[in-house]
Amino acid sequence: MPLARTHTCGRRPAFVKGVCVLGTDKILKDLQKAVLSYDPDAAVKATKAAIKAKVPPMDVIDEGLVPAIEMVGDLFERMEIFLPDLMLAADAVKSSTSLLLPLLPKEGKNIKATVIVATVQGDVHEIGKNIVASMLMARGFNVIDMGVDVKTSDLVETTKKEKAKVICASALMSSTLGSQKDIVDYLASTGMRKKVAVLIGGGPTSKAWAKEIGADDWGADANAAVKLAEKYSKAR
Amino acid sequence: MVQILDIMEKALNGKPMSETDYQLKLFAPKCQEKVKAHGIKFDLKNPICDDDSLADDVFEAAVELLIDVGAYCTNTNRIISYTENEIKDALTNAPNEILMGEGKDKRWLRPRKVEDKTPPWCLLGAGGGACASDKSFLALVEGYAEIPEVDAITTPAITRVGGMRIRPASPLELLGAMRNAVLAREATNRAGRQGIPIMNSLATAESDIALAAALHPKYGMRASDGYMICCMDPMKVDFNRLNKVTVALSMGGPIGMCFGPLMGGYSGGPESTAVSLTAHHMMGILTYQSSWLLPFPLHLRYVSSSSREMLALISATGQAISRNTHLISINLNYTSGGPCTPMCLYETTASVTAAVVSGQSIESLGVASNRDEDRTSPVEPRISAEVGHAVAGIKRSDANELVKKLLPKYEAKLPNPNLGKTLFEVWDPEKRRPSKDYLRVIKDYKRTMAGLGVELKPEKY
Repeated sequence: MPLARTHTCGRRPAFVKGVCVLGTDKILKDLQKAVLSYDPDAAVKATKAAIKAKVPPMDVIDEGLVPAIEMVGDLFERMEIFLPDLMLAADAVKSSTSLLLPLLPKEGKNIKATVIVATVQGDVHEIGKNIVASMLMARGFNVIDMGVDVKTSDLVETTKKEKAKVICASALMSSTLGSQKDIVDYLASTGMRKKVAVLIGGGPTSKAWAKEIGADDWGADANAAVKLAEKYSKAR
Repeated sequence: MVQILDIMEKALNGKPMSETDYQLKLFAPKCQEKVKAHGIKFDLKNPICDDDSLADDVFEAAVELLIDVGAYCTNTNRIISYTENEIKDALTNAPNEILMGEGKDKRWLRPRKVEDKTPPWCLLGAGGGACASDKSFLALVEGYAEIPEVDAITTPAITRVGGMRIRPASPLELLGAMRNAVLAREATNRAGRQGIPIMNSLATAESDIALAAALHPKYGMRASDGYMICCMDPMKVDFNRLNKVTVALSMGGPIGMCFGPLMGGYSGGPESTAVSLTAHHMMGILTYQSSWLLPFPLHLRYVSSSSREMLALISATGQAISRNTHLISINLNYTSGGPCTPMCLYETTASVTAAVVSGQSIESLGVASNRDEDRTSPVEPRISAEVGHAVAGIKRSDANELVKKLLPKYEAKLPNPNLGKTLFEVWDPEKRRPSKDYLRVIKDYKRTMAGLGVELKPEKY
């Protein structure tokens, strides 16, 4: 049985051999295979097997999921795999963590912060937002992807409800930049501004625009967004 | 023949599917399946291919892809499916010439063939890039209208009205769209080109209501302009876009669907993106009722169309379409480098060459990934048009050798391009000419091009 299906780049992953040494246990290897073959159903199956075998949930995350999804993220960075692979792999990780997180003792939940990701109100462009969401998931953040054309009020309410520390707001049109400013203003008016970092991105955005509207920072691409999310989630 | 009511019927009754499943579980794997089934493989050492069978394989794969995935309506979450007969019928009935413009600026827009000696249709301007002020809008469009090779204008988008940033579907967007129409006519009038068509009507009107509002006759838009409606990647449509289609059809304006599948995105790598791009052409004449097509494939990372993968897929798509259909395809190119940099000029030269020898016309261009306001000038589209005219009729093999010599001049800089300068740093709107710095860059570039065997027009300044 192949370890991983052919990627959208048309090649089989070059790191397949590496999978064998990542995990010490067949269950963890199966979980890695599920992520590397972008299969959420297989990820759920392997996670359930791990739980049944009483593998500590944190070990499942640290030794099973994280190395595999980091490899996927690196391959995407080098464009050796493409967006659908990245999104499906992130989905497999999410399917697995949704089963594991409730089992972690509260003090042991060293999963990274919750990040809200959305394309702003009035804008339906989703690819950049999807890349950022998947890369954040790949780096261990708890990502809540609210989709596109997200109402500012809904975004802020969800941030509050989920106790998110970071908002990543994408805008791809010059006419929707203003919605990024709305997010900052809305947070300020509800007394939440200091609790949440607002990171912006998208084609027509810039560091100067982030400064002008009072956002915390601007990411030129998904990689930058991940680094900024690391930085700002720790600061809050 | 599939018409707008048929599209609505399909959108309301097609197979239901979630958007995520459509993109990830249907569209993306089908792209890969078609590439594999047809054995499509590019030789990236030779980006402009002269193997006719490769182009024909891309075309066949694209027809199969469209039959398998159709289009997707995001409002109804249903697939708009097409039969092979509907696709063939649409290809047969697509217009093979469109009369654009008015008076002495009236021109026939026609399809081109591989290695066609006919110069490309030159749709010149900003490719919808954002401008910071009415002053820059007028300076740019006036500059575009003065380019000798220009057949039609692609205007920038207005970003502010009354000092306020435009908001989607708000009175600000409606006022901005109206202003876009009025200022575009004013600028072309100033250059004595009253009849020249505006073919990205209207860059500022993202919403259906803004387009409809700005089409009141008093703002100056005409049925002889082009009505550009952007498809969402991949193969998606919504009611906002279908409303625009309906409005443009009602006034008899020729629709051009623009579509930019990202290489590295849902379509995958260069080969599958070429298949996707070709399929989008056919989807456009059906779903968006397009009379002409405007592909603008972009590299996911560089947000430009000048890397060797992009040149290969532009060329393969152009050849697939022009060898197998009479569709009018106008390739829009983006550069990573900015105004006043040699990189920008070499990038647009490579992309334009790939498109023109492969049977496409050109829209030039988005400069410096079209990210920043006013980071563009009338120079870059002028140079692109001069290149388009100069390379029309050359063999693909010669074009391939040319781009192989151009690529080393910028390829390594694509990850960190020089963004160059802004409009009023490089362009004097009073004298209507580039800055001294830029003139030096242009002259050096033209000398280099002459050394590569491409004689461009001498600079008049």
